[in-house]
Amino acid sequence: MINVEIDGKRVEIEAGRTVIEAAQLAGIYIPHFCYHKKLSIAASCRMCLVQVEKVPKPVPACATPVSDGMKVFTSSEMAVKAQQGVMEFLLINHPLDCPVCDQGGECQLQDLAVGYGATSSRYGEEKRVVLHKDIGPLVSAEEMSRCINCTRCVRFCQEIAGQMEMGQAFRGEHAEIMSFVGKTVDTELSGNMIDLCPVGALTSKPFRYTARNWELSRRKSVSPHDGLGTNLAVQVKNNRVMRVVPIENEEINECWLSDKDRFGYEGLNSGERLTRPMVKQNGKWQEVEWQVALEYAANALSQVASCAGATEVGALATPHSTLEELYLLQKLVRGLGSDNVDFRLRQADFSADGKRAGNHPHVNLPAEGEGANASSRVAGGEPRKFLPWLGMKVAEIGTSDRLLIVGSFLRKDHPLLAQRIRQAVKKGAQANLVHSADDDPLMKVANKAIVAPDAMANTLAQILKAMATEKQAATDASLKGIEVGGAAAAIARSLAGGERVAVLLGNFAQQHPQATQLQLLAQRIAELCGGKFGFLGEAANSVGGHLANALPGAEGMNAASMLAAPRKAYLLLHAEPELDCANSQQALSAMYAADLVVALSAYRHHAVDYANVLLPVAPFTETSGTFVSTEGRVQSFKGAVKPLGEARPAWKVLRVLGNLLNVAGFDHDSSEAVRDEVLGGMDIPAKLNNALQATTQPSALSPQPSGLQRVSDVPIYSADAIVRRAAALQKTRDAEEPRVAMRGDDLEKIGVSAGDRVKVTQGENSVGLVAAADDSLPPGVARVPAGHAATVGLGAMFGNVTVERA
Amino acid sequence: MEMIKNFFKTFLLLELVKGMALTGRYFFARKITVQFPEEKTPQGFRFRGLHAQRRYASGEERCIGCKLCEAICPAMAINIEIAERADGTRRTTRYDIDLTKCIFCGFCEESCPVDAIVETRVLEYHGEKRGDLYYTKTMLLANGDKLEEQIAGDRAVDAKYR
Ligand code: SF4
Ligand code: SF4
Ligand code: SF4
Ligand code: FES
Repeated sequence: MINVEIDGKRVEIEAGRTVIEAAQLAGIYIPHFCYHKKLSIAASCRMCLVQVEKVPKPVPACATPVSDGMKVFTSSEMAVKAQQGVMEFLLINHPLDCPVCDQGGECQLQDLAVGYGATSSRYGEEKRVVLHKDIGPLVSAEEMSRCINCTRCVRFCQEIAGQMEMGQAFRGEHAEIMSFVGKTVDTELSGNMIDLCPVGALTSKPFRYTARNWELSRRKSVSPHDGLGTNLAVQVKNNRVMRVVPIENEEINECWLSDKDRFGYEGLNSGERLTRPMVKQNGKWQEVEWQVALEYAANALSQVASCAGATEVGALATPHSTLEELYLLQKLVRGLGSDNVDFRLRQADFSADGKRAGNHPHVNLPAEGEGANASSRVAGGEPRKFLPWLGMKVAEIGTSDRLLIVGSFLRKDHPLLAQRIRQAVKKGAQANLVHSADDDPLMKVANKAIVAPDAMANTLAQILKAMATEKQAATDASLKGIEVGGAAAAIARSLAGGERVAVLLGNFAQQHPQATQLQLLAQRIAELCGGKFGFLGEAANSVGGHLANALPGAEGMNAASMLAAPRKAYLLLHAEPELDCANSQQALSAMYAADLVVALSAYRHHAVDYANVLLPVAPFTETSGTFVSTEGRVQSFKGAVKPLGEARPAWKVLRVLGNLLNVAGFDHDSSEAVRDEVLGGMDIPAKLNNALQATTQPSALSPQPSGLQRVSDVPIYSADAIVRRAAALQKTRDAEEPRVAMRGDDLEKIGVSAGDRVKVTQGENSVGLVAAADDSLPPGVARVPAGHAATVGLGAMFGNVTVERA
Repeated sequence: MEMIKNFFKTFLLLELVKGMALTGRYFFARKITVQFPEEKTPQGFRFRGLHAQRRYASGEERCIGCKLCEAICPAMAINIEIAERADGTRRTTRYDIDLTKCIFCGFCEESCPVDAIVETRVLEYHGEKRGDLYYTKTMLLANGDKLEEQIAGDRAVDAKYR
């Protein structure tokens, strides 16, 4: 710690920090453009010039390290003159037409020109013109003449997003910021450049020329998309969401937003929104009053329950629903006498159900554990239901030094978590991957094992065995006969050398048909190396759904069995079964076969064909609610706008349905009351526990040779109902029509070349797709995305498929 | 003493005579009543009356939808919506002024960077219904088209003071 004096104020700061950071500490603002706390230092704009005692010339505060006893003057005559001079230079080539500029009113250059510039310009010559660029559907680079070449955008792509997609070409006066010639910027974090750009050079394309920032009101909200719980500021005008910007929260999203969070709002204003309750009569949809629709739904439901038996009623909710909605849904279904309710729609392996409690049975565990979950084991008494979560705080991911990420399309499923891991890797952490596809995570990967889905458990067992050797621990019988491969040994070595190890299961691993086995193995790996183990939550309420108990008990049917053995009546909460469920064809045929489908949805979706009642409910901006993020953080939010048309918050709809069905305990008059009923007195940290009472099945570890295996990712902009309808996101590269990708030699074997149309068959279903070659895939797999309209014709996300020439 | 003074004041109807003198003076003085609408008072070139939206000589509307006038309007009488026009320029899709709210302060004219919104010398407009005084973009542009010559002339006179 050293002492620095800034404008006469003394501050204490670590050596090695810069003058601008010291000034911030002292509460003194130094004007700046190119400096950003999360980016490296460029010192190119020179706006931050200050005077330092005994230094003859002004120095840039952002690039000058502090030294003991340093005296800095930020508003001395020299500093002010320097700042004014820089401002004059900046404005020489800058168009002076803020009124047409979309940044006007929230522009750093505008603000600083007022604060530090002269009142009029001395420059009368011609100004430089930089042609506009097209860098994709999200970020507008229409006004590149406004660019002040601070290179924040360039540094962002390189350092935070992990790939250099923007750059500065040419020199001196001709310097231009651009993407690679003819290329768009495709990172899933691209929208952050809009916030970073201090001028109006890079602006939001969908928002461009629609409103001014001073007419927008700012409402706090929480992202409904991935499990991170990103903090959003929803900006509203005339009861319409105009755009979404981040709220800084160092523990969650830092100052970033993924494009999904930022541009997803367009889906809220989509023309597909359902605005009036509808009932199907004689095959025709009729718009009706809420009372009529609700009574119809209640009568029909109770009729099915009383005639065919309550177990014929099943409820499916998406994990993007709020805690309150999920809680009331399960309460309603249970009130009807059924236990068939689930929110884990894309999960295939439910063998962990009922086993998430009590002591860990593994023989080879250390008796008194350094293991992550050892301390919270239940010592007798009532079995507590544990629930899968991240296993650590989000911020801890950034400080781990060894990571094993199993089965995750990391960048697309968890853009901001991927960003955190990228920063950790930069600081020296080693990332190890086990997966069935080799998408570039845009970070240095220490070791990876890319294997077919059925070999994943085996690969983890190899790592476990190698780890046991590293740690000189005993292995149990189930690991006999496992042969440790080179990649597995390297991964084990890497993990064993770490102090803060994190083993994380991604969406793919959670959707895997052997998910429980994968979890057991991964967990044992983590325990052996004294690391933490957790799940990367797929959706906003992947943890909340467990807290709300929106999953079947011992008697009930889970999301998969409810569709495998079709029910007579379904209650859908936000769900579009053919896109949100693991097995799209099965889901669809179950819906068509059902006598009654009551769909609570914000959108007019496929249910129009098979549902009997459509109840328009509000998406997250139009209702109050709670999301429990993957790290177990409970975040409640209020509605930002009024529900569109006659849509109503789903918790209210469910409450009234409960009343109409005479179920007890439906008398809440606010979503807060529902939340308090769920969470009141609940010891959430004690519940956040991944412990599992199950044993490894040796059969899972020895894959039988089988045909071509399907590997499915859910494309980033198909993952939930809102992003599916976000117009600009749907124009990005990530939203391109899905293809079936295979290794080049696998394609050759069936006589198909990349670009050909092929027929993909899974069981009895087939769809036509275009083939693509991807040599990074393991042999014997075909990558066919799920959750997309083009592949709804297929079955489960895993399993065998055949690909042939169409 | 006071009593005697008051007595003479009342007795001689002094107040009345004074009043009548004033009346008499005005009775014979030159009349200044303006016989509106046959006769009109003179107007300054800065008169702030009915609003108009101007165009350039090319016929292109001047307004670029910057929303400054909307922001500054103290009566919140202006209502603007904007969008990108097919040619990529920033334009208003709606520009309404509610003249029943407007206080004719001229701030909108003052704030406009392109001299698009102006207040003309026209003061003789009326509405039979309340809604008639809600001026839309088309009405304002029509005003501008009709009065451009006068508007431009007035602004030319004013130019050296701005
Ligand atoms: S970038 Fe800022 S200073 Fe430049 S024209 Fe736009 S608002 Fe004005
Ligand atoms: S486009 Fe914006 S962020 Fe990028 S260099 Fe120019 S001014 Fe900086
Ligand atoms: S009239 Fe002038 S101030 Fe008002 S929006 Fe148009 S350009 Fe801007
Ligand atoms: S902020 Fe210091 S040089 Fe740009």
